[in-house]
Amino acid sequence: MVSIRTVNLTKVFGSVVAVDHVSLEVGHGEFFTLLGPSGCGKTTFLRTIAGLEMADEGRIYFDDQDITDMPAHLRGTGMVFQNYALWPHMSVFDNIAYGLKIRKVPKDEIRRRVRDVLRLVKLEGLEDRSPHQLSGGQQQRVALARALVINPRVLLFDEPLSNLDAKLRIEMRAELRRIQRELGITAIYVTHDQEEAMSISDRIAVMNRGRIMQVGTPREIYKNPKNDFVARFIGQGTFMEGEVVSTNDVLEIRLGSGKIVKAVRSHPEVDLGVGDRALVMIRPEAFTLEPGEGYNEFDVRVYHVSFLGDSQMLQASNEVENFIIEVDPDLEVEVGQRLKVYAPPRHTLAIKI
Amino acid sequence: MGQAAGLPKLLRKIKWEMDAFSWSQLLIVLGSFTAFLIVPLGLIVVRSFYSSSTGFSLYWLQSILTDPFYFPLRLKLVGQFPFITLEGIRGSLYEVVRYQTPTGPETIVILTGWDMGVIPNSLVVATFTTLLSTLLGFTLAFIFAKYKFPGSELLRVVSLIPLLSTPFVGAIGLKKMIVADGVLNVLFHDILHLLPFKIEVTGLPAVIMVQTLLFYPIVMLNAYTALISVDPTLEEQAINMGASGFKLFRTITLPLATPGVEAGALLVFILSLEDLGTPIVFKGTTAEKVLTFQIFNRIFTPAGLISQEATTLAMILLVISGLVFVGVRRYVSLRKYAMLGKGGAWRPRRRRLSPLTTILVYAFILGVLFFATLPHIGVTLLAFAKQWGPTLLPSSFTLDNFRAVLSDEEASRCIMNSLVYSSIATLLMVVLGVSAAYLVSRKKSLPGIEALDLLVTIPIAVPGIAVATGLFLTYLGTPLSPTISGAPLLIAAYTVRKIPFTVRSVYSGLEQTDKALDEVAWTVGASRTRTFFSIVMPMILLNVLAGGMLSFIYSMSEVSTGIVVGDANHRDAPMTWKMYDMLFHGLAGGTFQPAALGFLLMTLQFAFIVGANLLLRKRATALIGI
Ligand SMILES: Nc1ncnc2c1ncn2[C@@H]1O[C@H](COP(=O)(O)OP(=O)(O)OP(=O)(O)O)[C@@H](O)[C@H]1O
Ligand SMILES: [Mg+2]
Repeated sequence: MVSIRTVNLTKVFGSVVAVDHVSLEVGHGEFFTLLGPSGCGKTTFLRTIAGLEMADEGRIYFDDQDITDMPAHLRGTGMVFQNYALWPHMSVFDNIAYGLKIRKVPKDEIRRRVRDVLRLVKLEGLEDRSPHQLSGGQQQRVALARALVINPRVLLFDEPLSNLDAKLRIEMRAELRRIQRELGITAIYVTHDQEEAMSISDRIAVMNRGRIMQVGTPREIYKNPKNDFVARFIGQGTFMEGEVVSTNDVLEIRLGSGKIVKAVRSHPEVDLGVGDRALVMIRPEAFTLEPGEGYNEFDVRVYHVSFLGDSQMLQASNEVENFIIEVDPDLEVEVGQRLKVYAPPRHTLAIKI
Repeated sequence: MGQAAGLPKLLRKIKWEMDAFSWSQLLIVLGSFTAFLIVPLGLIVVRSFYSSSTGFSLYWLQSILTDPFYFPLRLKLVGQFPFITLEGIRGSLYEVVRYQTPTGPETIVILTGWDMGVIPNSLVVATFTTLLSTLLGFTLAFIFAKYKFPGSELLRVVSLIPLLSTPFVGAIGLKKMIVADGVLNVLFHDILHLLPFKIEVTGLPAVIMVQTLLFYPIVMLNAYTALISVDPTLEEQAINMGASGFKLFRTITLPLATPGVEAGALLVFILSLEDLGTPIVFKGTTAEKVLTFQIFNRIFTPAGLISQEATTLAMILLVISGLVFVGVRRYVSLRKYAMLGKGGAWRPRRRRLSPLTTILVYAFILGVLFFATLPHIGVTLLAFAKQWGPTLLPSSFTLDNFRAVLSDEEASRCIMNSLVYSSIATLLMVVLGVSAAYLVSRKKSLPGIEALDLLVTIPIAVPGIAVATGLFLTYLGTPLSPTISGAPLLIAAYTVRKIPFTVRSVYSGLEQTDKALDEVAWTVGASRTRTFFSIVMPMILLNVLAGGMLSFIYSMSEVSTGIVVGDANHRDAPMTWKMYDMLFHGLAGGTFQPAALGFLLMTLQFAFIVGANLLLRKRATALIGI
């Protein structure tokens, strides 16, 4: 188990800066996720950590050891690829045992360790199958077992679940997390699925165009986005633009319509002063139908209702802005209906733009 | 980024990509190619412009270009329209010979072709061969790609048969067909009375005929791949927009297929230019007056040295094929080749034909196939013939030719030599070819790696006789001298000349295996070397095998270097030299015994090519396309 640290890590492909001066720290045994849109450089970052790509600038440390120029096979990383990359000419057993054979582990021990890891990933009895005789989920587990069996210092996952169907994906991610916790291995996980990221991670780094936009726990990222990219990328919300008109205990922001809303800074580091342009965000669940002391009030007309079983989402508008509002699933709402909705200032977040 | 950090970053990148194993792979490929291709070809150029007294000299080039034997063509101004004429063309297209036979007067039209001098002849032959092969190859490819009729798949495979023999062997077979009392005249004049006179094809026209019948499949393969790779929706769109028939062909189909056709055509041009086997078979006619034969004929000075005249001719041949290669370069690089191989993912749009057109199409295809299989039928019949006068078939058959060949001490030694040299060369080609293909496929981001791609594909365009000349220039008088042993230079020549077959096959195998499979092995702790042997090699084994087989069989049938080395050292001569020797210096048996050798070679070639294709199944579509 090690901690991973990158300092100004940069990788350039031709004119594309795939990873742009990324400095991160991942703690011992932490499950750390890189989350971002397609093409933002997640895979490239991971491959650089694994030693599959050369860092153009910056350093990478495992604990205090500088491994920037260390060849991939000496790094002790276990990596799980998106398409599993199982060797087609080897059985399940040979796929998993390969790394142990390289380490010249005695035969008996190899057999024992492969059996143990197969039990861990719940694949007992499939040793002699060849990869193409396995289902996607099983292949996924073999790939995981192959990475785990060598007791890697670090586990790297590149969208390992994206080829599985939705149900299996949810099952597998709980499994992944259980195993990682059991073994206590530091893990970096890459995904563009935010729900997956939220449900599995200790901390998340949101990435965009090769840069880290924010690092934090799932809760922080959702509740306290540092910038408009994170705010818009994570979760849903109602967004309104305006200008800061006062900064007493709460911020007052004048929207385009002239209306003034009371808000708080989305994140302690957000620096907003009078006259600054600000993005106001309200999460769907922050709206209520009952007014409260100092609440912001909005008149909206509902134009779409989605009933989701355990909740109900309304899409509404007030001519200028679009609203996404979560309401009690028992509430009867009709398209076209007018509503008054309220949002408390502490859940009305102001972000610098 | 970039500029400022340029050199150190480049060095770091190289260090990152290249471990000791990669370096050794790179160095053995570069080393072998430098020693046995680059330096020899370089020496040809250097020696062409060298004189012992003055150093640099244009003497040989000048004397060749002013010698009417090589270049008699002169433009001359004249007093009347069109004010300019071309002089120096000798002979006529055909001669008419009349003579009396017991059954009455007989006429033979002998197609001899003009003689324009050695250099123009080579170009004219290559041009005609290319035009005819393209016409034939493209028409066939178009029919097979666009129309549906019973038996089309079988006919398509059969029409690739010419790929199974080298021009040298094919020419021996075809010659028996096209001489005055040959099979074609017997059939069409004596038996069917379709011809009012006999036709004999000889000299340069015969060379063109042999080459066309043997090379058209190269255009056909390339054109076919291109045509079935055309997205049918493109054509459907054009039809929806009102294009039809010829317009569709001219505006959509043809432009899309042009690159493939062009690639095939340019390759045929080079192959025609460098063909030595056919002119040798027609020795004694104007067929001799082409560059390859002249180089071959005067490569040694009476003192046993390499003649500067031949060297300069080789330089001219090299320059011409080099220029053509620039045109074809785009298509023969490994990357391009791998893409071609992946073509044909569409379901091609095939039209049914009306009964009448079907008959016409059959007539055309069967006509082509009749001529295209003549060389092979000829060789086969000759190999089993006991006697064959002016009749349709040999008057009696025998296995004696094979017995004679196999009991002839020198012939069996030559066969053995060929087997040994080709096997060793194949081992080398596998080692070098796998190394080169691996580097080109897996280290794409390394600057300069395209040069390696170029290096291992360029032998396709280097005339064999030029390689032979260069190797002699470089190694005569050294411990590798063919006068000491023929083995080293022949093995070297086979290796550098036939390696593209291995490289291509291996490269396409590598492109079909995900690089992530290598990478995941690194992450679990396997060094690159170990990954190469335990992960990569097993996955591409079939491609290595298939490529090796092709390289082996094309080494067995190599002509240019084989004959030159064989002439210098009979003891170590290969099989193709023995065929040549028997053809012209043999005692009894005439062409029967060389044909028997040729038949053996052809059979072997057939087995190996079919074998290689079976190994790779569908993936091999473009593999044999030279
Ligand atoms: N080998 C390469 N050569 C050139 N450009 C590359 C290469 N690999 C990645 N890129 C570019 O770098 C950028 C980042 O790619 P990367 O694969 O890291 O994105 P990603 O975040 O993993 O995306 P996805 O979610 O689609 O997998 C992209 O613009 C991509 O086109
Ligand atoms: Mg990715």
